[in-house]
Amino acid sequence: MHSENKTTGECIAVIGSVTQAMRAQRVLAEASLRVEVIRADSTVTGRGCAYGLMYPCVQDEAVRAALRGAGIRVRGGGRR
Amino acid sequence: MIYLDNAATSFPKPRGVIEEQMRCMRQYCGNPGRGAHRLSLAAAEKIYACRELIADTFGASAERVCFTQNTTTALNIAIKGLLCEGDHVLISDMEHNAVYRPVARLASEGRITYDVFPTFPLSPDRSTARICTAIAHLIRPNTKMLICAHASNICSATLPIKEIGALCHKKGILFVVDAAQSAGHLPIDVTKMRIDALCVPGHKGLLGPQGCGFVVWGEDVSADTLIEGGSGFHSLDAQMPEEAPERFEAGTLPTPAIAGLCEGIREVREIGLEAVERHERELNERLFAMLSTLPDLCICAPLHRGSILSFVCDRIPSDRLAAELDRRGFCVRAGFHCSALGHRTLQTPDGGALRVSPGIYTKSTDIDAFFHAMREILT
Repeated sequence: MHSENKTTGECIAVIGSVTQAMRAQRVLAEASLRVEVIRADSTVTGRGCAYGLMYPCVQDEAVRAALRGAGIRVRGGGRR
Repeated sequence: MIYLDNAATSFPKPRGVIEEQMRCMRQYCGNPGRGAHRLSLAAAEKIYACRELIADTFGASAERVCFTQNTTTALNIAIKGLLCEGDHVLISDMEHNAVYRPVARLASEGRITYDVFPTFPLSPDRSTARICTAIAHLIRPNTKMLICAHASNICSATLPIKEIGALCHKKGILFVVDAAQSAGHLPIDVTKMRIDALCVPGHKGLLGPQGCGFVVWGEDVSADTLIEGGSGFHSLDAQMPEEAPERFEAGTLPTPAIAGLCEGIREVREIGLEAVERHERELNERLFAMLSTLPDLCICAPLHRGSILSFVCDRIPSDRLAAELDRRGFCVRAGFHCSALGHRTLQTPDGGALRVSPGIYTKSTDIDAFFHAMREILT
């Protein structure tokens, strides 16, 4: 799951539309967190296609906190 | 050739607009918000950057910017997506058919009722207070929406949208603004002006290509969809997603046009709205002064100075005059300019009027040449 306490490897946060994923990317960039917008695994949402963010798992806590602060909902994710 | 039909579409386009469209088609024209490959993501990045630029220009957030084909589509989305059975609507007496027809159709189907409020474009006593008082008198308990053109497409009359927005907000009425003739000419701030839906063309004052426009939603505005289809996410759902902008953008967006629009907006911002407004007003004043010396001409709404000037010739119907001017190399537009209400309000005769609309690239010598051609035709 997204909340796994791992500090190595890449993590993914599923966001939804590409617009929201890019908004999330901007929010994280302002917090000096570099992430990549990716197409998320369709099985994660159960609703079909979605976009998400990929980033080093060491940033997981910081990424989730920044997204929460900006009111951006994470719909799923985890280690890549 | 001297182009004086910028109210229909701006011409010429800035070099940056043309080059960016070409660059897009050559280098990054994937389908935005659909695939995961680099071209799709590059196109999506350009689209998002344009949303951010529009949001910054009009005082909103990027997610509230929804791309449409043009202003007419934007207005239809706002009007049909926000109104419900039994609602009452107010529209101004200067509206384009892009407002008048969708509203009239809903009314003819018995779904809504509407009234037309006066804006007094011919009156020397015209004032913000007078317009707002006229609006207030027509508000009913079921009035849900007020729609108005910020600037007329026949003359240079504008409406005080900040004050009308404040009145609508106070009365709990949705405020929809048709900015077809004002975006890129006059300052607009969706948040400060309490606008719930701002409908804008990409190809007029913002100097972009044809094929893209947008609606900027006010905060917390929730509308139904006009069309449904692919949105690039939640693809297994039968319904359109709730989230804007994708909720209102079914189907593939015109990435090259949006990329060009982005450069058009940059050009307008670089020139500055004040400079645009001043330049167009000066050209209008020059044209007004010169045309006033010609016999048999009647200028429509002569009290207003801005980017548009229309007139009627007693001896020559406007279509014939436009054709004669075209032969001499001048592009102007005759007739009724898709505004039944506006022409009725301005009391233009059966043949309509001839509209001259200079743009930011029009020179004062172009206006002089137009005047000389007019004088030649009339004498």
